[in-house]
Amino acid sequence: MQATFRALTDSLVPSTRRIGYESPINITDMGVHEYLIYGLDHYIAIQEQLHHITLPLAYPTAIMLDEAATQLVNTGRAQASPQIQFPGGGMFSRLSREDRIQTLSALENLAFDLYLLPSPFQNNGGLIKHVIDALNRFAMFGYYSEWPAYGTTRLYPPDDRRLEFFPWGWQQVGYPGVSLGYRDFRGMLIEYEEVKAKEVD
Amino acid sequence: MSIDADVILIGAGAGGAVVAKELGELGVKVTVLEAGPWYGNKQWKEPNQHRGSVSSSNPSDLDVNLLRHQYNRQENTMNDVVSGRFRFGPADRRQSVWYRNIPEHGMAWQASGVGGSTQHYWANSPRAFASAVDDWPISYSELIPYYEKVEHTLPVQFAPTTSKEELFYYGAEKAGWSLIDTLNPTSPGYRPQPNAILPPNERLMDPNTSLHQLSHMEGCTLAGHCINGCPYGPSVDKVAKRSTNVSYIPLALKTGNVEIRPNTFTTKILTENHPEEGVKAIGVKFRDTWTGEVGELYGKAIVMAAGSIENPRLWLNSDLPSNEWVGRGLTNNYWDWMTGVFDEKDLMRILGNQNVNPFVGHTSAARLDYPGLGSIQPSGLSPGLTSFLTFGFSQSGYASKLKQSPDVPWDLQGRVVGNELKEWMDSYRNTLSFLILTDDQPNKRDGVTVDPFVKDEHGAAPVIQYTPSKQDTKKRNELAKITADILRKAGAKKIIRTDWPANLFAHILTTMRMGFVVDTNCEAYQVKRLFIADSSVEPNSGGGVNPTLTAQALATRTAEKLAKKYFS
Repeated sequence: MQATFRALTDSLVPSTRRIGYESPINITDMGVHEYLIYGLDHYIAIQEQLHHITLPLAYPTAIMLDEAATQLVNTGRAQASPQIQFPGGGMFSRLSREDRIQTLSALENLAFDLYLLPSPFQNNGGLIKHVIDALNRFAMFGYYSEWPAYGTTRLYPPDDRRLEFFPWGWQQVGYPGVSLGYRDFRGMLIEYEEVKAKEVD
Repeated sequence: MSIDADVILIGAGAGGAVVAKELGELGVKVTVLEAGPWYGNKQWKEPNQHRGSVSSSNPSDLDVNLLRHQYNRQENTMNDVVSGRFRFGPADRRQSVWYRNIPEHGMAWQASGVGGSTQHYWANSPRAFASAVDDWPISYSELIPYYEKVEHTLPVQFAPTTSKEELFYYGAEKAGWSLIDTLNPTSPGYRPQPNAILPPNERLMDPNTSLHQLSHMEGCTLAGHCINGCPYGPSVDKVAKRSTNVSYIPLALKTGNVEIRPNTFTTKILTENHPEEGVKAIGVKFRDTWTGEVGELYGKAIVMAAGSIENPRLWLNSDLPSNEWVGRGLTNNYWDWMTGVFDEKDLMRILGNQNVNPFVGHTSAARLDYPGLGSIQPSGLSPGLTSFLTFGFSQSGYASKLKQSPDVPWDLQGRVVGNELKEWMDSYRNTLSFLILTDDQPNKRDGVTVDPFVKDEHGAAPVIQYTPSKQDTKKRNELAKITADILRKAGAKKIIRTDWPANLFAHILTTMRMGFVVDTNCEAYQVKRLFIADSSVEPNSGGGVNPTLTAQALATRTAEKLAKKYFS
């Protein structure tokens, strides 16, 4: 499952700019795949008689990605690489970045035999679309928010996480971090009291 | 039967807090039940870690230093929809979020807690367009005094200009739009946002006053954290962004008549069949989110202000009389999002500064209103939110897979991933984004039902669905073209239209509409003494403007009508 999510975040928010099937070099692993797994495993909680159950979605999602990738490969819509980029991964992790995106795209268009997907996705188009959409959102928010900078505490319960360094994503885009204020006041175009007084007239 | 309070009020968000203050001032005793935590209150020094007290009714419990510590302004800590402090879930963040079934691309973006979603709202507080209110059972002129009262109380001010607004005004002028200096737009034009944010401190531009000092003084510091949670001010009741936990709630507590109980999820409205009044609300059943214990509270009237998802869910899970419009007719302003990237030399010429810096100033401080279509508003967010909202959240799929018509005035539509995403994000500081709000019309097929199979700890789970009409889509496309034109005229070199999923629920309104579920006093037609006071009673989407001020004006009016009918 870890390898599948690594392959997923590598296609959505690559830690290095590389293409095709080359081996990752100098990869700074921000661990965003773990953020996705955490998010999916805390997304749906339901009550069944005495049990309040948090439905783990990450594992069935990984199976779904592999099953969809297999269907794409079997129908000639994608090609599997003979090289192993993500050890331990299934078919999804053997596709090129582009074919991994193609797999997500085919999934959200429900262009599959949905009967072959694992529960709770089996014949559940609404949930498939919802989760594929969420994978994209989660991957980007995981990467560009401060989450990776929780470092060794990033998988702790939320209240036990601590920022250990300045977030890479913020640094990359030039965000200065949280702020007390900015001296960029360029005036008021109109004032409430004046406008209100004018409208009463 | 013993009574616990005159009024039991469900929800301390945008509308509920207003009702609490207004009723409290009229001498009515109110108990407020809020499902989420209470930040900035000494009774809950670690509101996400420990259960703390049961309730608070004392304004001296409010503590801005605690608020400052808890609203730490980091986007993942605050805004993460699964584990953030502003999620829709229990205070204990080890527990999962509360489930909403949205069987489509999309998400419900709400916050639980005292202040509700106003904790992360942008404080944009325009009035509804008069032309949209023409379709309501009450008139626009009847609403005006209530608008004015809320604008005075929050208070609402026109927003200050920073770089991103200056760039927008420049583009809007070039595109041929004029300034409309009004609170009541009747024709298209641009203006600063009427925002519930205190004006900048007059010493903000004085380098002799440090930003640290300014952040402890009254007035906005242009820190750009409206969405991440604003903690700046000398005391809770003077915090710059006027979420209801810092505006109406302190005023409510000051009346001495209001008790607020966080961590308390209301699961059922209790009724009885009265020989004269018919079915009437007499109380509520609730569940403590820390202990799971359930209880009941009784009052002479009940006010639902739990939002446009939980109100209908509560009605349906309480077996209240059948009404085919409960939960139906949902509108969400059918949002979209567009972003342009600018060259530094153009920015230098226009702004005298080589960056837009979208993270500076109010999250959104200007708007273009277009009665009949809706509105657009330049907006700037922190990087994580910007990345997923601009590049990761689309009903068009991946931009690389979309065959774009050559006629459209934007360069890309849909999600952008991989190396191309990195390139766009590298230009983050030189982007200007726009939120598009559509004048969408209520349709019966859209709304909230309860899942026949899936329950959570509070009962049958809500299912939310929304399909825009052809007319809604057409209006949204028109607004997207206007936005692209303004961006282009301002000098944008590349423009992306994200095409957000229709099932994005952040503005969530019109599921318990006046004239369909509630009467003009906002009392339920079929259940006496049950009032509703939030955006769910708005009869339409107000012409495609931000719904909060209107919800608050109606809540002010409802409190007055309720007190007059049952407590005078």
